[in-house]
Amino acid sequence: MRLLTERVAETASTLWTDEDTVEIRISAERVVEVLRTLRDDEDLDFWMLADAAAVDYGPTEHFEVVYHLYSDRHPAWLRVRAKVDRADPRIPTITPLWEGAMFHEREMYDMMGIVFEGNPDLRRIYMSPDYRSFPQRRDFLLPDDAADSPAAGINPLERPETWDLTRFAALGPLNPLAAAGALPEADAVVADPAGEQPEPSTVEAGVTDADKSRPR
Amino acid sequence: MTATEPREGRVRDPIDLDAAEEARLRTAAGMIPAPIASPGGEYFGFDTVSIPDRPPQTERERELYTLGEGEMLVNMGPQHPSTHGVMRLVLKVRSEVVTDLDVVLGYLHRGIEKLSENATYTTVLTYVDPMDYMSAMHNEHAPALAFEKLYGIEAPPRAQYIRALVVELNRVFSHGLMMGFLALDIGALTPILYGFINRDEVVEMLAAISGQRMLFNFFRVGGVNWDVNDEFLSRLGAWHAKELRNVKDNEALLTGNEIFRARTRKMGVISRQQAINLGVTGPNLRASGVPFDVRSAHPYPPYHELEFTPIVQEHGDVYDRYLQRIAEIKQSMHLIEQIMDKMPHGPVQAQVPGIIRPKPGRAYAAIESPRGLYSVYAISDGGPTPYRFRMRDPSFVSLQVMPVLMPGHLIADTMAIMASLDPIMGGVDK
Amino acid sequence: MDVELLLGIGRFVLATTLILLLTVPTAFIVIQLELKVIAGMNLRIGPNRVGPSGMFQSTIHGFKVLAKEDQIPDKADRATFTIAPWMVFMAAAMSMLVIPFAPGAIAADFNIGIVYFFAIIGLSVVGLLVAGWASYNKYSLLGGLRSAAQMVSYEIPLTLSVVGAVVLAGTLNFTELIHWQRDHGWLFIWQFVGWGIFYIASLAEINRTPFDMVEADSEIVAGPFTEYSGMRFGFFFFAEYVSLFIMSAIMTSLFFGGWLAPWPFPAELSGFLGTLYGIFWFFLKTYLFVFAAIWMRATLPRVRVDQLMGMAWKVLLPLALVNLFVTAIAVVWLNL
Repeated sequence: MRLLTERVAETASTLWTDEDTVEIRISAERVVEVLRTLRDDEDLDFWMLADAAAVDYGPTEHFEVVYHLYSDRHPAWLRVRAKVDRADPRIPTITPLWEGAMFHEREMYDMMGIVFEGNPDLRRIYMSPDYRSFPQRRDFLLPDDAADSPAAGINPLERPETWDLTRFAALGPLNPLAAAGALPEADAVVADPAGEQPEPSTVEAGVTDADKSRPR
Repeated sequence: MTATEPREGRVRDPIDLDAAEEARLRTAAGMIPAPIASPGGEYFGFDTVSIPDRPPQTERERELYTLGEGEMLVNMGPQHPSTHGVMRLVLKVRSEVVTDLDVVLGYLHRGIEKLSENATYTTVLTYVDPMDYMSAMHNEHAPALAFEKLYGIEAPPRAQYIRALVVELNRVFSHGLMMGFLALDIGALTPILYGFINRDEVVEMLAAISGQRMLFNFFRVGGVNWDVNDEFLSRLGAWHAKELRNVKDNEALLTGNEIFRARTRKMGVISRQQAINLGVTGPNLRASGVPFDVRSAHPYPPYHELEFTPIVQEHGDVYDRYLQRIAEIKQSMHLIEQIMDKMPHGPVQAQVPGIIRPKPGRAYAAIESPRGLYSVYAISDGGPTPYRFRMRDPSFVSLQVMPVLMPGHLIADTMAIMASLDPIMGGVDK
Repeated sequence: MDVELLLGIGRFVLATTLILLLTVPTAFIVIQLELKVIAGMNLRIGPNRVGPSGMFQSTIHGFKVLAKEDQIPDKADRATFTIAPWMVFMAAAMSMLVIPFAPGAIAADFNIGIVYFFAIIGLSVVGLLVAGWASYNKYSLLGGLRSAAQMVSYEIPLTLSVVGAVVLAGTLNFTELIHWQRDHGWLFIWQFVGWGIFYIASLAEINRTPFDMVEADSEIVAGPFTEYSGMRFGFFFFAEYVSLFIMSAIMTSLFFGGWLAPWPFPAELSGFLGTLYGIFWFFLKTYLFVFAAIWMRATLPRVRVDQLMGMAWKVLLPLALVNLFVTAIAVVWLNL
């Protein structure tokens, strides 16, 4: 832990641990530099990229790309969290460090829409290539009939700019980085999925009369 | 007569109607234009089949789908006798030699991560079951550990031992089936059926303890669903002796078989450095000589109380990956004996409320699944459902090896190498 | 018109018809045998619904393919696509003409029967190649090319391995060859190496495991048969199993004394009884080899294309040549 603060200076203020995880936070631009230090430094020696995942903290907040690293020398997992701007979600790729990050980054791009700059093969991996939306963002709604609707995935419902974001006001202060006590009560935070459904009248494109009259 | 002209009295093929548009798109994208009026007769353009009908999105895609002299693309899957589920491999071949390969995923994508954001912590454990359907117990293990860490409880010791027991049983049949699938993809019919006989016995055993044969739904946050019962124990006792004989049968069919060795040795070699770089984990990584096993590298209970050393092989070829599976079956049998010896008495379920609302926070839990490091990263916002639920599936990451390994091998080796990596598409596509 | 000529033509027509009809039950029996034997080796039950203990499963399969829709892919070459199964099947059926089932029970007793056999059995490669090319399918094309490479390569050691036996016996006629074996002992004792080469090469020639590269289902789906359905596929299927029977029968005649009993029968049987006795031994030996081939299919993995070709040219061909030379020298010097 001392090593971490020595070698990766900016983490000093953000170091956090629990029983088997050490956590540091960095800025998106420095991802490659920090991870290279962590991997190549002889005392740190985090040789394995255990996981790379993206987290969406809601439409009014930011994205986060989370890397989990493993080293034989240290008993704990190292979690590296990089904050990514939601309006312009860009972060440098780490495929030069670990080629195996390729599928992770493609998945994050596919699901969250985070662009990894410099990744040579940033294609969609799960969804079809002509898919427009990013299904794992928090503001991607799951209407009951999404799978049945003729334009599932590209209808305006799933485009954030058409939404009334006040709906998500309750999610605003949700930031696990902030002190735990600062969060509002649990029930207020997570809206019931059914409550997030827009009124049928807001459905504009792609849903025909036949769809509306179909028994639910 | 050209390919685009309709035959007399036949309905015009709608694909032909778009040929002009396709050719325009291809030319714009700098790809080989599909001929509209072909000079070479009806068979001209045969080698352009399966090039995507849109401009390439990345450099890599452009390179992959641009054909050189004498090359053609062969689609393996999603419907193919041996693609281990609905997976598609696009092979670029020159005669029978593969020059490049693209892995196309998503045919089984169910969005389990997204579904889990709308499910309570207990129901998430049922959603992850069908992920890696060969090792449903492992799928439940990591989320259960992560949620316990979030909630700040620990399963009682007996529950931990029962967990390890069912998980090792699951590993035995998963590895047994992998041997069978490898043999099947190389052309031997019998080992897979022996593998399934073994699987059936284990699965009946697990059904006796959990109530279900395939998607067990056995783990709970804070313990397991039921204690071991008489039927389970009697089946376990009868099975234990038979299992090693079963493995021996398969070994007799394959390990020393000259054809099998010729097909698998020095084939699809993953070097140490390559394996680490590509994120390969589990038996495939250990077959390359890296002694990384989550059970010993970052032990989760009760593995710190069990005698356990990771097994490694030297060469990292298909044959070594096969041997690694056999060695791990024997190791698991040994672990099961230890677990049965050391199993303490006590409750199997900690006191937890029906709907769990952990404090806001995050937890990371990783376990060793039969395919490698399977980890879960869960974020709680204080509500009854996880705010974010992320699963890292080992076979998803391992599949990246294919484009690196394949160039230079034959089509026939594609399936052998893929079977040796043992990907399960339910897990890959989540 | 000469009465004898007419009789000859009549006999020929009758014999060919019988042979053609014989292919159907033969294929059914071999397929049924394969279903049951492999099931037993896999510790499965196998077919057990149609007829007593599933005896008519393969027959029902045969009628099923008759009733199925015959599909021809849009872009396939219709003429060649249609004719390919017929070519493969006829190659198999025609080679059955020279099989000596028993004394007198041979459809056409040519004096160059062995040459005829190898000429005809080699024709099936044309059918497979045509099927692969005409299907407009990459798997089919790969399978067709594999079959061409494999069968042409293995034809050479296959034929050369028999030449040793022919030199030794001094005849190309199947009946005379068997008579020679009656007097001198079975040929596999004299021509052990030749028999080994013949056995391996014949498995490759009829695309049986471990040499079933042509229709390697885990690699190229079903090879040249991928696009076929209904009775066209049925013809391929029939031809495959009939060829298995034929190769076993030819091996029996060439190396294992054909209709001869393994020990001299006390009283020489003749006439109808002798024919029955010969047929019994002939079929017993033939189905033993069929069984061995099925056994191998249940046990062995498949070899790879390059290993297969390497074996033909680097191992079997030199071995067959050496065998031929040694035999020839022995025949000339020792006046065998």
